[in-house]
Amino acid sequence: MRTSPYLAPRGSTWLPLVGAVAAVAVLAAVPAFVSNPYVLHIMILLFLSVIMGSAWNVVGGYAGQYSVGHAAYYGIGAYVTLIFMTQYQIMPWWGSWVAMAAALVVALVVGSITFRLRGPYFVLASIAVAEVIRLTVLNWKSLTNGAEGILSGPIPRITIGETTIRFISKVPVYYVGLVMVVATVLANLAVQHSKLGYYFQAIREDQDAAHSLGINLTFHKNVALGISAVFTALAGSYYALYVRFIDPSTVLTIDISVQAVLICIIGGIGTVLGPVIGAVVLVALSETLRSNLITDLLISLGAVSAESKVGAFLKEHLSHAHMLIYGILVVVVILFMPDGILGWVRQAMRRRAQVAAAAGEKP
Amino acid sequence: MAILEVRNVFKLFGGLAANSDVSFSMEQGTIMGLIGPNGAGKTTLFNCITGYYPPTKGEVLFKGERIDGLAPDKVCKLGMVRTWQKVRPLAKMTVLDNVMVGALARTNSLRVAREIAAEQLEIVKLGQKARFLAGGLPIGERKKLEVARVLATKPELLLLDEVMGGLNPAESDEIIQLILDIKKRGLTQMVIEHDMKAIMRISDRIVVLNSGEKLAEGLPQEIVNNPEVITAYLGEAHV
Repeated sequence: MRTSPYLAPRGSTWLPLVGAVAAVAVLAAVPAFVSNPYVLHIMILLFLSVIMGSAWNVVGGYAGQYSVGHAAYYGIGAYVTLIFMTQYQIMPWWGSWVAMAAALVVALVVGSITFRLRGPYFVLASIAVAEVIRLTVLNWKSLTNGAEGILSGPIPRITIGETTIRFISKVPVYYVGLVMVVATVLANLAVQHSKLGYYFQAIREDQDAAHSLGINLTFHKNVALGISAVFTALAGSYYALYVRFIDPSTVLTIDISVQAVLICIIGGIGTVLGPVIGAVVLVALSETLRSNLITDLLISLGAVSAESKVGAFLKEHLSHAHMLIYGILVVVVILFMPDGILGWVRQAMRRRAQVAAAAGEKP
Repeated sequence: MAILEVRNVFKLFGGLAANSDVSFSMEQGTIMGLIGPNGAGKTTLFNCITGYYPPTKGEVLFKGERIDGLAPDKVCKLGMVRTWQKVRPLAKMTVLDNVMVGALARTNSLRVAREIAAEQLEIVKLGQKARFLAGGLPIGERKKLEVARVLATKPELLLLDEVMGGLNPAESDEIIQLILDIKKRGLTQMVIEHDMKAIMRISDRIVVLNSGEKLAEGLPQEIVNNPEVITAYLGEAHV
């Protein structure tokens, strides 16, 4: 068939690839140059957020099903991994797979029930399901230790041939996280460039139209949720192995669910890069607030004195205000950048290109 | 054998009969016009045929097999697909992507789907808009997009719900030509339309619905001269 000129691929296809490979290479080199554990800690938190955001993006961003109950899959990932490790001495690299499988099963059950609902009703149902799972974990004390949580010993070392990897320093944890990030982002990329991605987006845009064009709605929503739940469980599992202490109030609360959504909304929903950008923004923001960096900066600039009432107030309270500032950030993004930071940047670039083209036409 | 057979279909919403004992059949390769005053039950009948509602009573046979009760996606896979009176573009996807979604009903390959979609866009003359977001199209082009999208699913029977509604005469003429071209390719079509001139020109047979019941069925010239039809549309005094 004759291929029309407007069907030719836009832009260069190798440039993003080169950029991605370079980014991963730089990240892989970081531990060789940075030994400061705080920096590695922040990077690990960043990886965790990228995995969470990108995982939610599959069902929320592409398929448009706004689940606010992803804490359920995160918690299942964390709990299954640590329970298997502490109670059954099963190595976490096997336990994680079991955790992901468990999350997948729960997701498919939850999906086949709640995907009958649309829009806000689905959102409410997803919150309810996550609460049910939180309360179950809280009360199933024989298995989960209830509100006391689970504290695990050190992660067993792995021996591959001659090399032994010990998880005492943060470096191996860092690399494990980086691999997980690459896997999750690649999964998003694969979804976007496949039939599944087209079907998910069609469902997001108009369910009835999608249905009439031969798309099995329930099946495809379940596939989206399944993929999303598996990677969310991976994030939970990673968190549990890094922190080695979990309880219902850290891994199963609505805060976790909301965070996954916010990462995507802020970065740009339904795009591969959006959750990455959103994660960077949110982690940077919450760390600057928590570590009193802003107050210290203001004091060192001489804007406020450390001894003054204002200085004391900021030192005392600003670090606790990060949820408030999250909230303000979300309002600002929704009002002024409805397609997230990535959408806003792309629009600005398009506008500049149009202006440039118009200027080129009339010299 | 008839490609589509509707047998004694009833659709009740509570006590209201939106369709009541509607029966007709369609031959392959023909165009059937479905007309009737507002609220006659035309779109409800489309919904019953394509699986959006199961009929309360009655049977729908497509290529000799019962399809009433099947979901719309299954009906589409069997080769019957409908457009929407109120157009439903996948707004944040490009025009090409919209049509590719239709094409993906028959293939798993994006490359093949892209080729099928490009062909359909040429047919409806939307090729130059392939890269535009569907949500930004004016109404005339949205209607064409709907047709391209259903054509991409490789249907045998198309149900077109007011594809000319809201169009200017030039655009309507284009759509009429498009419908006649589709007929030439051997596809069967059922068309809901309010523009009588257009429906008379394209239809091989016409079914008239009124208050949910089939009022008349026949050739276009039989329908225009049918006193009951004239009464339904214009009132007693005009007969």
